[in-house]
Amino acid sequence: MAGFARPSTLVGIAAPMAVWALHFVVLYSLQGLTCGEGWNPRSSFWAMVALTIPALAVIAWLGLRALRTARAAASGEPAARRARFAAQATGLCAVLAAVAVLFTVVPVLLLPVCS
Amino acid sequence: MSEARMDTLPPEENRRRLEALARIWDNAPGWRGQLTAVNHGTVGLRFIATGFAFLLAGGALSMFIRLQLAWPGNQVLDPERYAQFVTLHGTTMMFLFAVPIMEGFAMYLLPKMLGARDLPFPRLGAFGYWCYLFGGLFLYSGLLFGEAPDGGWFMYVPLTDATYSPGRGVDFWLIGVTFAEIAAVTAAVELIVMILLCRAPGMDIRRMPLFAWAMLVTAFMIAFGFPPLILGSILLEIQRAFGFVFFDVARGGDPLLWQHLFWLFGHPEVYIIFLPAAGVVSMVVATFARRPIVGYLWIVLALVTTGFLSFGLWVHHMFAVGIPLLALAFFSAASMAVAIPTGIQVFAWLATLWAGRPWLRVPMLYLVGFFITFVGGGLTGVMVALVPFDWQVHDTHFVVAHLHYVLIGGLMFPMFAGLYYWLPLASGRMPSESLSRTAFWMVFTGFHLTFLPMHLTGLLGMTRRAYSYPEQLGVHWLNLLSTAAGFVLAAGTIAILVDAALCFRHGRPGRRNPWRAGTLEWALSHPVPAYNFASLPVVADRYPLWRDRGLAARTMEADGLLGDPSSGRRESLGTSILGGVPEQVIRLSGSSWQPLLCALTIAVLLACFIAGFYLGSALMLVVLLGQFCTWAWTTGDRHAPATVQAGPRLELPVQYACRNAPGWWALVVSLLIDGSLFASLVFAYFYLWLGTDAWPPAPMHAGAGAGAWAALALLGVCWIASATSARLMRRGGGRALALPLGVAALAGAGFLWMQWRAVASGTGAPGEHAYASVVWTLAGFHAVHVAVAMVVGLFVAARGQRGYVGVERPLEQRIAAALWAYVAAQGVMAWGVIHLFPEWA
Ligand SMILES: [Cu+2]
Repeated sequence: MAGFARPSTLVGIAAPMAVWALHFVVLYSLQGLTCGEGWNPRSSFWAMVALTIPALAVIAWLGLRALRTARAAASGEPAARRARFAAQATGLCAVLAAVAVLFTVVPVLLLPVCS
Repeated sequence: MSEARMDTLPPEENRRRLEALARIWDNAPGWRGQLTAVNHGTVGLRFIATGFAFLLAGGALSMFIRLQLAWPGNQVLDPERYAQFVTLHGTTMMFLFAVPIMEGFAMYLLPKMLGARDLPFPRLGAFGYWCYLFGGLFLYSGLLFGEAPDGGWFMYVPLTDATYSPGRGVDFWLIGVTFAEIAAVTAAVELIVMILLCRAPGMDIRRMPLFAWAMLVTAFMIAFGFPPLILGSILLEIQRAFGFVFFDVARGGDPLLWQHLFWLFGHPEVYIIFLPAAGVVSMVVATFARRPIVGYLWIVLALVTTGFLSFGLWVHHMFAVGIPLLALAFFSAASMAVAIPTGIQVFAWLATLWAGRPWLRVPMLYLVGFFITFVGGGLTGVMVALVPFDWQVHDTHFVVAHLHYVLIGGLMFPMFAGLYYWLPLASGRMPSESLSRTAFWMVFTGFHLTFLPMHLTGLLGMTRRAYSYPEQLGVHWLNLLSTAAGFVLAAGTIAILVDAALCFRHGRPGRRNPWRAGTLEWALSHPVPAYNFASLPVVADRYPLWRDRGLAARTMEADGLLGDPSSGRRESLGTSILGGVPEQVIRLSGSSWQPLLCALTIAVLLACFIAGFYLGSALMLVVLLGQFCTWAWTTGDRHAPATVQAGPRLELPVQYACRNAPGWWALVVSLLIDGSLFASLVFAYFYLWLGTDAWPPAPMHAGAGAGAWAALALLGVCWIASATSARLMRRGGGRALALPLGVAALAGAGFLWMQWRAVASGTGAPGEHAYASVVWTLAGFHAVHVAVAMVVGLFVAARGQRGYVGVERPLEQRIAAALWAYVAAQGVMAWGVIHLFPEWA
């Protein structure tokens, strides 16, 4: 994993949104399985809530790391400016990814798992 | 980076070089040249012209539809024809116009905009074009046999299965559209590699034109979004042709599976269409505001996040099918979230106009039309994203109005803006100002008067897709208005296309860069030479022409990068992915019959298939395989030097030796696409499992027996053998490849045999139950991959014998080994799903 999805790469820019996508797919599948296979809705509710915490944590970590990279790369070198640009994009994507994850979770808190 | 140039070239030497470049790059003369051309300029313009031809065809169909709806009880079309026309209209606009036209724009513009000579895989682009053309004609040829599809552009089952649509219409749709889709997929590969690797030196990711960013995201979305549709089409076609069951409830299938697969593609499709258009807007806005775009970083952010979020929306087309509330809410949430990045983009454009000194010329006029229309469509979009409201208006003309606002607002207006913006570049002439303004007002008023009333007719309860409506609904005056305005819209569209066509002949000759734009494509001279740039430009800004006044003139002097054509080959430059640092010289292929012949073979193959002449299809498959091998054999160059003098002080390796070779990245992208196809199939398996009680149903049992384990072991042998090929090659040269790749092929054959036995004994005939169908399909899908990897491996081994592959040209060995690794990994997953999952399901 060393260096994977560094905030200064294209994969890095996409990484926070990838976390959102993963979270979304897992919650959606879990919901489908719970209702289709008759699993316990209560535990599935708690699983969804619990899964949100690591998702947000990873996004926050990606965002903060990008912020650090952006700060550290403020010098005039072209490579550093490029890294700074990519890190800023990663940071912004992280903010939006966090919002999107919260958007996904709000209905979990408000609605019954199956109905 | 500093620009490496020679002191100055003597004028006669410069002229000699320009002539040589033209000789190397020009298409062959006459009609033969037209058929064999692979140059991105030619192919791109072809895509655009063909796309417009299909726009006219699809538009003509819609005029019949509007006539039929003009008054209740009309008899312009009978219900059956009406359904066919609605289906063909939607299909044409989505698959044969919207996506290909944007690809055409991208193929034509990107090399010019990014400072390259051509796309990285010219023949692949030409092949895609022929597939698109033949696929479209194939779809329409159904009309000749009176067998046009009539199931709606979304082809919902069970309406489209063999019971309810026994004719060939649906087959024409499924096969024709999938055939045309080859173009979308090949273009995705080509554009991704182009944007990542073939930009001008110095054009790092901060300096990429926003159109390139938009196309990069779009191409990735095509890579992930089209496979579900392609898979769905294949499943439905084998259900219709061979009696498999995937969508038939009586035997364990589920019609909703089709809807999921379709909309998994269908919603991202909206953004696949919109993002390139947004890219066009970003280019045009900056030029006509006469300042750099405001919030470049924010627009990049918006493009990337839209690309992701749009995949979380598919179920919002299925709000009314009885899915649990919470699941609906997930998609509702994503639908709202996607409004954020779209809003960010709109604000960035408005801010740019605000901060600049806008200049209202024709392209800008179309952008104003875009802003007004698109915001309207966005508002109704948020309305339909609310589940209760959607239930209210579902399947009414309100939705028709909304979707036309989004698509025409989000695609057509920006596209016409782009058309008028780049027309002087392609034609060297200026379009007529008066005609283009008149056409704009006809399109603008015609459009709004057609579709604004539909919001109302929809709310009043006029259902979509119905061929007539009762007079008591009280919507006939509104419909009459829509119809009349629809003809104004059509006339305006025709006027635009006539204007554009006339411009090539009779336009007033324009000067270079008439809009005073800042991006590289405007550095080109008129008429645009087939090689684009005599020496490739070096870039140090987002708008290089604004910053560096001498740049345009310098690109016409053959004294800079790759200015020396003495190799006699088509060459372009490859640069690093993020930094735009020169890395390699890419040798490109020239005019060829291969693309046309391969596409023709596929057309014959599909025609045989649809006629039920399967032996003919199988025969053509063999021919096709031979053609592809011949094609592949002509790539590469065993006499290519290891390095090439790319400029006065710049020596670079040729692509076959470079780690970032275009071929390598093409493999990576192709495998992404293939992985998405595989994931869709696995999704189908689990979706069907979720819908049935007994899995596998009583008499069937595909467990992990001894045969299955043996098959798995043989797959492991394939992987190990191919993985050692690199080491053996480093020791013994290209000839040493025969052993490992031969062993891998043998083990692959053994695997196919063992796996076939294991599946046949466990599941029985595929038509019995959805379980058997999906297992056979999964196994068959993977078997095709093993067969392809075997062929590729043996092919590369043969190339090693002949000196095309070796220690200094390792590209093909890397591709063969990576393909085997992928096939083995996919095989392990397929194996687990087929043999292990039923053990505990
Ligand atoms: Cu949608």
